[in-house]
Amino acid sequence: MAQICPPGSILVADWHRSKDSKEYFNKILHKKRRRKFGLLESPMMPPHLAVDTVHYKIFICGKSGVGKTSLAARLAGMNVPNMHYETKGIETTMVYWPVKLREGGKVLFFCLQLWDCGENALRRFDHFLPSCQEQVDAVLLLFSFTDKTSFDDLSNQITRWTGTSLVKVVVGTKFDLFMHCDVTETDVRTFEETRSLPVLHMGGEDIDGLGDVAPLLNCLAENLWHQDCVAAASGTRRSQQETEALI
Amino acid sequence: MAQDGTPQLICLTASSGVPLFTRGANRQLPFSVIGSLNGVHMFGGSQGVVVSSSSTEGGGKVVWRVFQDSVMLIAVCRGGHGGAGSSSRAEQVFLQRLLENVWNCMVLVLGQDELGNVRNVERLKKDLRSCFSLIDQLLEDGQEGVFGNLTHCADSLLPPDPGLLQEAVDGFAKSADSEFGCLIVRGRIAAATEKWWRLAPQEVVLLSALVRSLAGSGTSSCDYPVFLPRGSPNVAHRLLRFQLLPGADVCILCGPTPSLHRAETRLVVPFWAPLMETLRACLAVGQHCLPASVSPRPDVMAVLLINRETRRCVTCVQPNLQTSDPPLPSRQRCWELLKLFYSFSVTRYFPQEDTLCVVPEDKDPRSNAEDFVLSFSHNPLQCYLVTEECKSFGLQTPQHQLFLLTPLSVPTFALQTLASQTLSDIVSATGF
Repeated sequence: MAQICPPGSILVADWHRSKDSKEYFNKILHKKRRRKFGLLESPMMPPHLAVDTVHYKIFICGKSGVGKTSLAARLAGMNVPNMHYETKGIETTMVYWPVKLREGGKVLFFCLQLWDCGENALRRFDHFLPSCQEQVDAVLLLFSFTDKTSFDDLSNQITRWTGTSLVKVVVGTKFDLFMHCDVTETDVRTFEETRSLPVLHMGGEDIDGLGDVAPLLNCLAENLWHQDCVAAASGTRRSQQETEALI
Repeated sequence: MAQDGTPQLICLTASSGVPLFTRGANRQLPFSVIGSLNGVHMFGGSQGVVVSSSSTEGGGKVVWRVFQDSVMLIAVCRGGHGGAGSSSRAEQVFLQRLLENVWNCMVLVLGQDELGNVRNVERLKKDLRSCFSLIDQLLEDGQEGVFGNLTHCADSLLPPDPGLLQEAVDGFAKSADSEFGCLIVRGRIAAATEKWWRLAPQEVVLLSALVRSLAGSGTSSCDYPVFLPRGSPNVAHRLLRFQLLPGADVCILCGPTPSLHRAETRLVVPFWAPLMETLRACLAVGQHCLPASVSPRPDVMAVLLINRETRRCVTCVQPNLQTSDPPLPSRQRCWELLKLFYSFSVTRYFPQEDTLCVVPEDKDPRSNAEDFVLSFSHNPLQCYLVTEECKSFGLQTPQHQLFLLTPLSVPTFALQTLASQTLSDIVSATGF
């Protein structure tokens, strides 16, 4: 299993704040809001700045009502539904996110496709889970700070995914509702240490549109890229061994 | 012809009168009023009478209907200003149809079984929330120029290049092992497979509404269980929807295969990427619904054209109306007037097989409008109406119905020629 990498070890941290990122981030913005892309589109850069786009599939899971749909909308810069209702099927959302690699300074567009499926729908129709798991690259495991049972349920969720070389990131939602907070800092820290999984927070007002989602998207991108590098390295090693064996 | 604001909708369990939800209208009715409305219906029931509609002196309307002996829907419309031409019959038809549409929405999302046998009221209340965005669309007429909920004909858009899109939809659906495929541009059907058109007209309209509401949330694809109210109310089909470009969605109805992931990665790009420009041209047609080559005469403010055989309709309002004195109605008002004139015409002059699905007990013996229609020994072919705001003309042939609005400056005697010319222009240019 790939190890977690500390934030900023592979990607330039907080790149969205630096000046040289402007022209890349402008491609995902439109009138100060996030631009919407259809499946046939992607951010286009002028030829002299051509940028590779890498695609990943990410499954969002967590107890019903924990905020999966809201998180997906938040990450994509879309309006968050103002009333909770069950997602009746699978809904996917595309998020484009430019990053800069620390080594060599190469810029990449990450295309993260977030897969969101209501827990009851998963239980009611058997075809949804396999569809979400098909060629998935990462899972976002959600719990709500206002609901201790959703936090306790995390270990169950994680065991569902053991043995697979997936990026796993834990996200605590509704962090802003501290009045109703049910999960303590200590709980989270102990969990982080025992599981060695990154835990991120979401919730609160949208400050500058990108600032609140950047830590999560960068963390995901960094771990996905790291996983790919590890896989590529082992893959090349394997192919080398094979060639040696042939010789 | 004045619109009476957004109606309010109340949903209760039929047996116990437990409120399930209320939608619409800014000011909610107090609980005691809801209780009384339910009580009146229940009292009627105990006396062997079905209360189906009622109107107040101020012009308010209440319509009741029980579905599957389990769910009661009540629509309440506040009394309006009841200007010239407002017909209580037309409003009742509108409300009856609204209740039917709302019920169909609920079936579409939850299935008939779940609604028919309510085991856990709290659970049902929670589940019903998933229908709210669809129901709100019905109540608020979410999108300008969408008439399907009223006409039960599919809102269509006539693309500049229909052949290419038709081929792509057919091919795309076939490669996904489905016979039901449809391309929806700006909320209207631009192309669909033959089987899609064979679904019940209400289902076609509902599915378009569902795609509009799913696309509105900004997601790029989905795999959604749907229960077809007519064709399959108890067994869910899968609706796969892919947003090709913002505003252009392709969807298919299918069984267990292919998976969403597979369809998206293997089929979407090969079939649709070559048609990017065609799709963009289609999006450019936009609200106009008609290709640029077909443009109604400048003195036509708004048109609604229905193909009675294929159960499709196109609508358009002239984008740039000239300024005149008295000022012409705004775009939004044109859409409203067109809707009112349609309801007015079909309730008085053009009663249709399926347009007025009036349940026998709904017939009000005192209704003058009803007598008026029934007293005809013949079938009216044309009708017109002159109000303070505009002139309206309706025309029907065995295949089409056309409704148009003109400014007051157009002489009344010219309306008929104008209407028949508009009809033949559109039909000959697009084959609609």
